[in-house]
Amino acid sequence: MLILLAVQAMNALAVQRFPKPEFESGYVQPETLLPSPRTEILAVMDVFVLLASLSIVTWLVLKKRSRNGVFWMSLFSMIYFGFYREGCVCSIGSIQNITLALFDHAYVIPLTVMVFFILPLLFSLFFGRVFCAGVCPFGALQDLVAFRPQRLGSRLNAVLGLIPYLYLGLAVLYAATGTDFIICRYDPFVGIFRFNASFGMLLFAATLLVSGIFIARPYCRFLCPYGVLLNWTSRFSKRHLTITPSECIQCRLCENSCPYDAIDVPTPAKNPDSTRTRVKKLMLISLLIPVLIVACGWTGSRLHETLAGVSSKVQLAKEILAPVSGAAQTESFEIKAFRSSGKTASQAFSEANVILHRFYLGGWLLGGFIGLVFGLLIAGRMLTTFRTGYVPNKGTCFSCARCVDYCPVKS
Amino acid sequence: MKDQKSPVPTIKLLQNVAFVSALFAVLLCVLIIVNFIQLKRADPLNTAAMNTLIERLKSNPDDDQLRSEIRTLDLLARKAFFTNQWQVRAGGYLLFISILLVIASLKTIDFLRKKLPDEPSARADNFWEKRKINRKWVAFSGGVLVVTSLILVVFTHNDLGKNLDDAAFSRSASADSTKTQSDNDQPRAGQQDSLQIAAPSGTDSSSKTAPVALEGYPSWQEIISNFTTFRGPGSIGIAFQKNIPTSWDGKSGKNIRWKTEIPLPGFNSPVVWNDRIFLSGANESKREVYGIDINTGKILWRTEVEKIPGSPSKAPSVHKETGQSAPTLTTDGRRVYAIFANGDLIALDMDGNKVWDKNLGVPVNHYGHSSSLIMYHDLLIIQYDQRNSAAIMALSGKTGETIWKTNRNVKVSWASPSLINTGKRSEIILAAEPYVAGYNPVNGKELWKFDCISGEVGPSIAYADGVVFSVNEYSKLAAVQIGETPKLLWEDTEYLSDVPSPVATDKYLFLVTSYGTMVCYDAKAGTKYWEHEFGNATYASPMLVEGKIYLLDKRGVMNIVKADKDFSLIGESALGEGSFCTPAFANGHLFIRGDKNLYCIGK
Repeated sequence: MLILLAVQAMNALAVQRFPKPEFESGYVQPETLLPSPRTEILAVMDVFVLLASLSIVTWLVLKKRSRNGVFWMSLFSMIYFGFYREGCVCSIGSIQNITLALFDHAYVIPLTVMVFFILPLLFSLFFGRVFCAGVCPFGALQDLVAFRPQRLGSRLNAVLGLIPYLYLGLAVLYAATGTDFIICRYDPFVGIFRFNASFGMLLFAATLLVSGIFIARPYCRFLCPYGVLLNWTSRFSKRHLTITPSECIQCRLCENSCPYDAIDVPTPAKNPDSTRTRVKKLMLISLLIPVLIVACGWTGSRLHETLAGVSSKVQLAKEILAPVSGAAQTESFEIKAFRSSGKTASQAFSEANVILHRFYLGGWLLGGFIGLVFGLLIAGRMLTTFRTGYVPNKGTCFSCARCVDYCPVKS
Repeated sequence: MKDQKSPVPTIKLLQNVAFVSALFAVLLCVLIIVNFIQLKRADPLNTAAMNTLIERLKSNPDDDQLRSEIRTLDLLARKAFFTNQWQVRAGGYLLFISILLVIASLKTIDFLRKKLPDEPSARADNFWEKRKINRKWVAFSGGVLVVTSLILVVFTHNDLGKNLDDAAFSRSASADSTKTQSDNDQPRAGQQDSLQIAAPSGTDSSSKTAPVALEGYPSWQEIISNFTTFRGPGSIGIAFQKNIPTSWDGKSGKNIRWKTEIPLPGFNSPVVWNDRIFLSGANESKREVYGIDINTGKILWRTEVEKIPGSPSKAPSVHKETGQSAPTLTTDGRRVYAIFANGDLIALDMDGNKVWDKNLGVPVNHYGHSSSLIMYHDLLIIQYDQRNSAAIMALSGKTGETIWKTNRNVKVSWASPSLINTGKRSEIILAAEPYVAGYNPVNGKELWKFDCISGEVGPSIAYADGVVFSVNEYSKLAAVQIGETPKLLWEDTEYLSDVPSPVATDKYLFLVTSYGTMVCYDAKAGTKYWEHEFGNATYASPMLVEGKIYLLDKRGVMNIVKADKDFSLIGESALGEGSFCTPAFANGHLFIRGDKNLYCIGK
């Protein structure tokens, strides 16, 4: 992620290479037009399609227990929300709109965006991640190419599974500070849906899709920030997909059926640690969590200059500052634009300083959040829920219903 | 592709389709990448041939044939470039179709070929061991992340914030030194000899030594020759005008040059720029800003403030003595800015055309928002001390973009910001329970604060010679020597105000209570020199002009008193209608907003 952010910072150095021709014939250059907003009726239709899709997928997963049905629905969603709606509005990116609306009162969030953010979470709260199963176009696209999924070891799963939390934290930080919508900027698939991907974007998407042949849904599992929220809400779902319609007979046929490593195995009856040891460990981690929050928060706050480096205002202030401190520099387009804006250098410095200050506070919060996540993940791996059969992990299961076909118990 | 011995012919066919499509896709990929690299490296208008022709044209500018050749070459280069782009696009579509074919074929094969579940491994993983390893790896990853972050900190942290701060200050200070120099060249009128004037740093003051104004905002000279803010330049109750009349009569028309009825009510005071006076008015359904001709009183334009995104459909409930448009406007001579009780903020050009607008969110304020606006350079400063989320913010005058915003841990306040210059730097001073505080106008950083005020703060501060005076009803009057560590010089609780703001010189402080008693103190020691009971309710703040204090009571009677340690009444003139508003002074005239009319008083 930091590499991607660094690449973005380097974009500031990019220059326009191909100037517009100068016409002597009196030809007037056409004005740059912004795309007109989607009409209200079509926006309402999007919401309706989302609601209908979520309902149908829920019915297919919970009532029909049909993998084929989920597959065809995901295909439909990919065509409608992906290729027809060009990947926007998407629930994943809506995190940023919601965050910006919370921090900037002048920003009015469109109702459609709000619904796209809330509806999948609500469904997840009651029925598990049915959105991921058959409504998310990103998931559908990756699901299509998951031909030879391999199981990742628990170590890799543990390490890579931390990235979405970091991505979520960064996305919220950048949206809250009004700096950027990084989820949209680094969206790998939207360029495919729109047939206009830049080379970098295409390369990123190709990497994900090719690796997705062997590691099923890599974006969903190891990047998607919205997946973090769905993971949290899904844990509370009462009516979640089950592998078996009745009692698990522990035939172990489903053990390797999940390409996402989202099946929890039965808990062995005996825990090698004594109750006393377990209590001691839990107490230790409970004490450690606040320490982790503060330590990571402090680290995050120290990192605020690096994090704020993405902001165009900070980049501009640095560029203006460079000649002041004596460094030689060619005047960039940004500096020229700044000069023509009539603003003073002090103003640019103070604007950048405000951003820096926001990042300082944001760095504390981001770091604190990451510390809390680490603490809770470690604590979560100490607490044990006793299971007698094979069950989908409510947090990580995408409710794709693949495992259902592997269960010999049919009623 | 995988199972060559499949008995099902369809599978075989699909495998072949998938294989050919995949091969085609790979080929296309290679071609697209090559094309892309060519496009990246191409600089169509900077070829050797083109440059040679251009050089030749430079030495022979009248050669039309050469010019035509260059044009043809230019067109060709552009055509080639865009054809390349088209090829990449077309290749992309073909690639997409071929990948689609691969996927469709393989998916169909998967459907046709029923796959048996994997045989469970003989030995199940050790559950507890796996969890332990999992825990360790999460902890290890956390450690790696923290260490990497710290390494990044070491290599990237370079005190950018401090450097920017220093640079902002040094730029401001360099502009300041110009001001100080030119200020010495040009003594100011009236009482200025004895006053510390609140020229903001960075404003150049002399028309002799500098251009009329720095780019984008007015010079100090322009500010003091106009009346741009509530309570005058810096909003400290001082006006730098000459030949202001001391007697008039609204009924007989003596010294009344004109009066104009203002369409909508409002308790904001007039502000003046050259030949224009600006006011606002509002009721529960309508908000307007007015531009009035200073010579005739004619309303030149009235602009309705409407359709601002985020503006509430219903006006907030406010106290009748605050109204929907209590805050006084401000202007920088380029634009005029107005704010209303519902949080609507608008910038208009000098002819009343909208430049930008925004809604700041309805302020949670039980009497209604009344804090006036003020400019620092081209920053619009807004004190937004509402319940639970008090803040001061600076917006770009040109665009309305928020330049900085500083949250304040204070209660709701109705006071207005003042802008002072301590000699070393400019500061914005705000008052709200529980403290008076100074802020850096460049970046909004809090410079100091002093706990000395409580309650529902209405009066703004007074300032002179390094001392800030704050007051509020049921609280106290406090004189605070400001600096890095502010200290209390003196305090008093005998006379307090809940609406009018005090005014100070380096020697005296003049305080007016809301029930109409005026008191004069020694500014440094707090000794009371005199008190005088006018006996009439007063909401307007006293203004110090030409060594005289102008104090308007709610009946519209102006009491003019000598600004001295001995009480001396110079004049008493009636407007003929009541007024809540602080008067404005410009061009030798006095402008008073009465309950219904705006008056221009002058000889």
